Amino acid sequence: MLLVDNLEMAIGGKPILDDVSFAVEQGQTLCIAGESGSGKSSLLKAINGLMPARFDRLCFRPQTHREITHEGQWHGKPGLRGSRWVMQDPIAALNPKLTLGRSIGESIYSKKPNAADLASATATALADVELPPAMAERKPSEVSLGQAQRACLARALIARPTLIFFDEPLSALDAIVQKQIAATMKRIQERYRITFVIVTHDLGFAAAFADQMLVLRNGKVEAYQPAQSFFEAQASRYCVDLVDAARDLGSLPQAAEGARNQAEVSL
Amino acid sequence: MTVAESSVLAEQVDLKQRLQNRSLKRFITGVCAVLVVLGALVCAGFFLTPYAPNTPDFLNRLSPPSVAHWFGTDQLGRDVATRLLYGGLWSVGLALLITVFGAIAGTIIGLAAGHFGRVADATLMRVTDSFFAFPELIAAITIAGVLGPSTANMVLALILVGWMRFARLARGLSVDIAHRDFVTQAKLNGLPSRLILWRHILPNIGPSLLVLWTNSWSRTILSISGLSFLGFGVQPPNAEWGAMLLDGKAYMQTAPHLMIFPGLAILVSVLAINLTGDRLRDLLGSGSAT
Repeated sequence: MLLVDNLEMAIGGKPILDDVSFAVEQGQTLCIAGESGSGKSSLLKAINGLMPARFDRLCFRPQTHREITHEGQWHGKPGLRGSRWVMQDPIAALNPKLTLGRSIGESIYSKKPNAADLASATATALADVELPPAMAERKPSEVSLGQAQRACLARALIARPTLIFFDEPLSALDAIVQKQIAATMKRIQERYRITFVIVTHDLGFAAAFADQMLVLRNGKVEAYQPAQSFFEAQASRYCVDLVDAARDLGSLPQAAEGARNQAEVSL
Repeated sequence: MTVAESSVLAEQVDLKQRLQNRSLKRFITGVCAVLVVLGALVCAGFFLTPYAPNTPDFLNRLSPPSVAHWFGTDQLGRDVATRLLYGGLWSVGLALLITVFGAIAGTIIGLAAGHFGRVADATLMRVTDSFFAFPELIAAITIAGVLGPSTANMVLALILVGWMRFARLARGLSVDIAHRDFVTQAKLNGLPSRLILWRHILPNIGPSLLVLWTNSWSRTILSISGLSFLGFGVQPPNAEWGAMLLDGKAYMQTAPHLMIFPGLAILVSVLAINLTGDRLRDLLGSGSAT
């Protein structure tokens, strides 16, 4: 459904990403992990056409829109139609001068809904992310970080996307709110069968969500395999270190076997 | 359900912001109230004054402040208080007109420079820089001097030298804001760029432009008075505070009230606008894009 073939990116002659290829199926979750500076966020920007990159093929086939294929490089305006993007810092991602309701409604600007449709769609989206309807009237400075991130999630959901990109969606939040929002994300994915592409450095979170794991290191693909087998046996020394570090910090259960199921329960 | 918990959290987060918003609202209400009272007083003055600003009364020349003439009369016997009232229209009103014009033009130029490509940016900002190269008052004197001294020429001159700071600020701030995540989101959601400028960028640079505008307004009052004092601005017999200072200069020793009251009027109005602008900047400071 989303296919990226041999993506390369360099800034000022310095390679940022090199030979990155992957594919995601409808309703599945791909987690992109790696340490800071490994090119995770750049990869999302390149896929959405916000940073120049070269690739053999980039293909996105949403259920609601025409298939998009780019070859060689990105053409036209940034943004894959039929997808949405939830960013890391929810306060930065919301216009401080607009109410949450208006920010959310703007996501379906291109559909030109009338006022009544817009209001009901916004209410539905707010309910989906478990925010009270009164939140639509609040400004970003008047809500907590967790509520702001839920509003960002609502902004993505209101467009009924086939795919949602997440760029470190929980790293700005505290542990309790992380858990609550992760649970909301899970429910949303199950209800609407949305494909997730999640960039994260939190392997515990990845273990709870991922069907596929993509590990980046210095812009190269270190591992690309089903999550189950990734958490059971790592393909390389680096991945072993990564998983061990997560276990030492307690974000992953000690036992490798059934890691995914346990993590799921802990949500 | 997490709603209850998170709304409790939000209450705490709100508190500081609410307090600030409340003092901002109170301040704006206060400013509006003062403006309304002041406007009412000025209107009352226009209706109630028994004197005309430009009609001489040679029997009453240079009389000191009295019950009949609160601020005295000038060398032609005209009532200084009435002339101050009419002069305010020129000084404060013209300055308002000039700065609003300059602010709008400058903001449009700055936004265009920041968002319509590199060629537009380079061209517009170099033009702005070259306008900056001339000292404001000297450029205005030159323009007014070349075109001939008149009120219209002075207004033109002050508009020509007044817009650049708005252009530079609007460009700088808007380019910064264009890189924020919420603008990226708007782009990904397919909003047209004029709507992004109007809805996402302009409201976030507005407060800073407003503060700059108050500063520019008070400076322009000084410029108008200065140019009129030098004879390039508002022409006699029209009352303007700077022109009144010029008229009174010859009688400074014998009738100091001719200079004291126009001078005080300039001082008070410039100070009031500057202090309002400062307070506004402090109140908008942390909540906005400055």
